[in-house]
Amino acid sequence: MTSILETKGLCRAFGGIVALNNVDLAVEAGRITAVIGPNGAGKTTLFNLVAGVYPVDRGEIVFRGTALNNVATHKRTAMGIARTFQNVLLFGNMTALENVMTGQHVRSRYGFFEAAFRLPKSRREEETISLKAMRYLNLVGLGMHAQRNALDLPLGQQKLLTIARALATEPQLLMLDEPGAGLNTLEKRDLSDLVRRIRDMGISVLLVEHDMDLVMGLAEWVVVLDSGQKIAEGTAGEIQRNQRVIAAYLGEEEE
Amino acid sequence: MLAKVRGRAAYAVIVLLLLLVMLAPFEWFLARYTTLMIFIGLNTMLTVGLCLLMGYTGQVSLGHAAFFGIGAYFSAILSKTYDVNPWLAMGIGAAATGAFAYVISYPIFRLRGNYLAMATLGLGLIIYILFRELGDYTGGPDGMYGIPYLSAGGFVFDTPFKRYFLVWGLCLAMLLISQNIVRSRSGRALRAIHGSEAAAESVGINSAQFKMKIFVLSAVYASLAGSLFVHHLRFVGPQPFGFLASVMVVVMAVVGGLASVWGAIFGAAAIRILSDKVLLEFGELDLIVYGLILMVVMIFLPQGLFVGLKEGYARLRLRYVRREAEP
Repeated sequence: MTSILETKGLCRAFGGIVALNNVDLAVEAGRITAVIGPNGAGKTTLFNLVAGVYPVDRGEIVFRGTALNNVATHKRTAMGIARTFQNVLLFGNMTALENVMTGQHVRSRYGFFEAAFRLPKSRREEETISLKAMRYLNLVGLGMHAQRNALDLPLGQQKLLTIARALATEPQLLMLDEPGAGLNTLEKRDLSDLVRRIRDMGISVLLVEHDMDLVMGLAEWVVVLDSGQKIAEGTAGEIQRNQRVIAAYLGEEEE
Repeated sequence: MLAKVRGRAAYAVIVLLLLLVMLAPFEWFLARYTTLMIFIGLNTMLTVGLCLLMGYTGQVSLGHAAFFGIGAYFSAILSKTYDVNPWLAMGIGAAATGAFAYVISYPIFRLRGNYLAMATLGLGLIIYILFRELGDYTGGPDGMYGIPYLSAGGFVFDTPFKRYFLVWGLCLAMLLISQNIVRSRSGRALRAIHGSEAAAESVGINSAQFKMKIFVLSAVYASLAGSLFVHHLRFVGPQPFGFLASVMVVVMAVVGGLASVWGAIFGAAAIRILSDKVLLEFGELDLIVYGLILMVVMIFLPQGLFVGLKEGYARLRLRYVRREAEP
């Protein structure tokens, strides 16, 4: 197997607090990889570094053979990295469909000029954009809510909508930040099915998650962070038996 | 279903409006209100630019009158002092204003929210002071007289009636272009930036570039309005380009509806009529009445006059349709 995303010796500190220390990570192509760890382990920092929200202090991020360190966030999306956010961040001034259509931004070309005079190019592309967006909306099961305002949807559907929006950028790597947070059991089961379907479409998935049941049932590879360091990685079964992981989650026994 | 009703209602309102605007001058209206209508048209140009910037992209500008002024002075100085063809002067003014907005956008959009508001306010004040103090070119506080009319071939725009059509023709073109942009890929990008810049970047939108582009476009709109303004009055002085003028544009945008292109007409018309016609009746109480009206609009029509009227119409229609359906 080849890895689609690799980090080598990744470091990031905020003021005096070390959020990530020397983290090596490899996301195998076509696989569902999960990053878990207690609060403050550095999971979201890892995500934000890969997405380019802030720069790395030291180390390297390589996506499909290209170093990402100096690539702007929006260009990483064009290269094939898409993400969702822990706090949803939908566009509240748009319908569900329009939210997904923004995902197609990076796969379409036409600009202000073509739009201003409604040149044929703009109409052609706009048609493709809305067709594709509708397809992604249907994929996550929200087709019938296309015309509703994004923020009128319940939280579970909002989270699905952010996945549709991310998929609409036609990524090779999809990063899901706490996709299960705030969902009920039924919604979590649907979410797992959806993530597997996305994997089957050939998209590699990297997810950060708190819910152990969700991770263990879904992830094919699990990486454990604690206090900014990688303490273990392996299959779900291996991780569940790993003494260091258990210690990190439950605290170590006193002498 | 409701969206469709609303869409049709919007079109009905727009068509009605256009008819009104185009036909109005032919009757009694002509003699009395042509000048007022010209000013409403000019204000609409300013307002729609600010709607794109503030309402759709979420970037505040409290110095928009500066761009209005730059266009105005470019036209005045080039066409009067240097005898340049007024149309060419207008084009040079628009290009210069656009270039200026482009350069200034780099430092200014490093700021957000209140800080951006402060910076644009400062920019507006500086430009205003330049208009006043560069007396050798601008005529200083006294301004410049005798600016030529616009003309095309042998046709001179020498009566308010002719200029009315010129101003509104250009104004409607700007509104249509704005509406097309808003409903496009670029328009979605702008609204996305307003919704959440982090999320916009995550779907691959270059937010800095889009902010710059819409800032330049709105500056060019303002500059063209400024050029028409001086060729209408044939006079230019610093007074219409000060801080109050910038605030006025914001008020027009808010009253018309920040996130609606056609609302710009309503906002510009309402405020213009209010300040030119109605408030005069109230003498010294004018500011109080002005404030009261603004408050009432903001409380009862928070999305502005246009959306408010549109929804009112849709609701009336719905009630009518229901009554029809009852046995």
